[in-house]
Amino acid sequence: MSTMRSAGQISLRNLRAIPRLPSAFFPALLMPIFTMIAFSGTFYAVTKIPGFPTDRSINWYMPIGVLFGSSFSGIGIGFTTIRDIETGFYDRLRMSPAPRNALIIGPLFTAWMRTVILNLIVVPIGVALGVRFEGGILAVLSLLAASLGMSTLSLGWGLGLAYRFRDMRAAAIMQLSIFIGLYLTSAQMPLEFIDGWLHHVATYNPITYILYLARQGLVLDGTSHDMSWSNTWPGLLAIVVLSGLALAFARRGLDKLDK
Amino acid sequence: MSTVLQPVAASRSFGLSLRQTRAMAWRSTKETFRQPALVGPSMIFPIFFAALGASSFSRATSLPGFPKVESFLQFSLAATVVQGVLFGSVTGAAALATDIQNGFFDRLLLAPTSRTGILIGRLAGSAIFGAVQAAAFIAVLWPFGATIKSSFGGALVMVLSGGIVALAIGSLMSAVAIKTASAEAVQGTFPLLFILLFFSSAFFPRETMSGLYRNIADVNPISYLVEGMRELVLVGFSTSAMAKAIFIPTAICVVAILIALRQLRVRLASR
Repeated sequence: MSTMRSAGQISLRNLRAIPRLPSAFFPALLMPIFTMIAFSGTFYAVTKIPGFPTDRSINWYMPIGVLFGSSFSGIGIGFTTIRDIETGFYDRLRMSPAPRNALIIGPLFTAWMRTVILNLIVVPIGVALGVRFEGGILAVLSLLAASLGMSTLSLGWGLGLAYRFRDMRAAAIMQLSIFIGLYLTSAQMPLEFIDGWLHHVATYNPITYILYLARQGLVLDGTSHDMSWSNTWPGLLAIVVLSGLALAFARRGLDKLDK
Repeated sequence: MSTVLQPVAASRSFGLSLRQTRAMAWRSTKETFRQPALVGPSMIFPIFFAALGASSFSRATSLPGFPKVESFLQFSLAATVVQGVLFGSVTGAAALATDIQNGFFDRLLLAPTSRTGILIGRLAGSAIFGAVQAAAFIAVLWPFGATIKSSFGGALVMVLSGGIVALAIGSLMSAVAIKTASAEAVQGTFPLLFILLFFSSAFFPRETMSGLYRNIADVNPISYLVEGMRELVLVGFSTSAMAKAIFIPTAICVVAILIALRQLRVRLASR
């Protein structure tokens, strides 16, 4: 059986789990909606600070919500993998003649599909609540690229941890690390408005640049955050490097599981 | 003769009940502190968010409607206390659900102990943990600029308020634990607390909000609780601050304990 065919079958199984076990997918869907509404409502006034790159708080906070949801789409599959390892189903998968890479590529397809579903639901809700894509269709594509990137690296990280810990301890580490990684960025305020330790951490945190990629079409033209190649390539580079490392971490974990 | 003996027996029975409740409270407190994996997040996350907010929102303190503060950290101290205590109070209720799941609760019911003592003891443990959390947050953040204008007196009121909030939320969560006998169900209510906290003036002043969000924050009791504590931090002692910080959680507490006791009675009656 070819890698892609096996991956397709594994992905299909994971997708079927959504209606069968909605509680595993709903948090990833509700989180961006809640983050978008709660942050833009609570911190509505920050857009009045001179120099803030948008006059709509929901424009500023929707991308971080989407990235949270995309990350949880990825690590949600990590949770499923832990359950499969604990119940012994994963042993049966490993004993099957499916290529090893299919065990990673299959869940990756599922993560991407979940992320697309998430965007298809969250973006229209955001638009209904007042989000305006200043950069047009390119803005939507940027947001989608960033969210697919986040789901890829979260999936690699989640699978790698699941293969190593093989129990629910990994779930807590997955959630905590993704949560902290996303918060230690310009999640709440533009980088130039952040002071002290967080400014330094956010500057060197590559996820900040993925967030720039996600946000660039939602801020006003002429600001340092607007749609430009200089706000695109660092985000794409961060996605490629982090995803590569995370998927390699997953593959090594799978090899260790085999041993 | 009986008129002399009856008050003595009643007083003995009350004393015994008190000792049993104290023992249950002590067990519950020890159990909480013996599980750092459960206690840790409710201690670390509020401090993490306070540090994050202090760096992120330092420029927001000059916005129109923002109260006069020395730093954003000083503004967020009250929210940090309430946030930590809310999250921590879920832990105690989840432990009660676990007691029900693993049969320990049934063994307690078989023992000649006061039924209310079993519940109140568990809740007292949550209240102690809530007060310890409040004291810890104040002690950690004060040296970094979260100075309390009402000084140690105000800090004591905040610690007391933290204990009462923990008792109130712990009671509500315990009602869920007794009804469902499931630690997962108790943990599942956590997002509701998160929503309640976010749709209040905990993280930003109500004066800077607008529209529907402002209206929700206006009717959310968490807003007034946090604002009471915040007044103690930013302004100093006042009757209104004391009333908000102590009486609001006490009122919620009375209702919540009654709900939890009723749930306990329902459970006992169904057996």
